[in-house]
Amino acid sequence: MIKQILVGVAALATATVSACASEVDDGGPSDMQIAHIAYTAGNIDIRYAHLALAISDNPDVREFAETMLRDHVAVNDAALALLAKLEAAPEDNETSQVLLSQALEKRNELKVLDGAAFDKAYAENELAYHQFVNKTVEEAFIPAADNQEFKELLGVALQTFKVHEGHAEMLVEKTK
Amino acid sequence: MRFFANVPKRRKAMQFMTAAGIIILAAACSAEADMPETHIVEMHGLTFVPATVEAKVGDTVLWINTDVMPHTATAADGAWDSGMMEVDDEWSLLIEEAGEMNFICTYHPGMEGVITAE
Ligand SMILES: [Cu+2]
Repeated sequence: MIKQILVGVAALATATVSACASEVDDGGPSDMQIAHIAYTAGNIDIRYAHLALAISDNPDVREFAETMLRDHVAVNDAALALLAKLEAAPEDNETSQVLLSQALEKRNELKVLDGAAFDKAYAENELAYHQFVNKTVEEAFIPAADNQEFKELLGVALQTFKVHEGHAEMLVEKTK
Repeated sequence: MRFFANVPKRRKAMQFMTAAGIIILAAACSAEADMPETHIVEMHGLTFVPATVEAKVGDTVLWINTDVMPHTATAADGAWDSGMMEVDDEWSLLIEEAGEMNFICTYHPGMEGVITAE
């Protein structure tokens, strides 16, 4: 799944270059496409967290899910505030759609599980998901972002998600 | 006044005023040496800044959340807890006894600091 999405991001980057060469001079997706993907990625983790809170009785899992909810809502709110300030609207794109359909599949996989099996699968998915998002934000989005404030917000998001990645690693150990 | 030997007049005046200022400040400082202080710890970038606070009994530590997401300031041994601090929230703790107190954010593993009070 991760490979597929990375390919998607790369394809998007290429498509963007050919579609609006005049606007994009850095060979990456536009800021408003990145904003849409990042916002979507945050919402996906929020939905995983809601699922965990609905299914799991494990205090470590619930605590982790609560933190994902708080932080991803906060980062997404900060993104919306910045977009409002810039009077810009995020632009839907193929990568966002791929992310959404992959996440739907994953949620369907997770929601038939319960107990320790759910906890383990949720923890492993959180780790893989944050690893993928962090790699994409760090290697593709931050270098491609043009607006300085937007670049800085992506930096804050990356810092946050890296802490989540570390936290997810601990959760994987605990739910083994 | 050999000390001012090669200094132009205006700078002499300024040096005098600076020296006078330092003396007044020093006097003020020694008078305030035992006054309780407030130590500010910012929650920023998922860290406590500074992470180490050197305080005296009677001082106050004030946490301010300048981050994008909520945090907590919580004694590692559970003795005190700010509860959820939203963005821009502040919470303070009066240092009542000497010793070392580790503190953490209960939401973010690895977000920690220490107060050393004497
Ligand atoms: Cu925290």
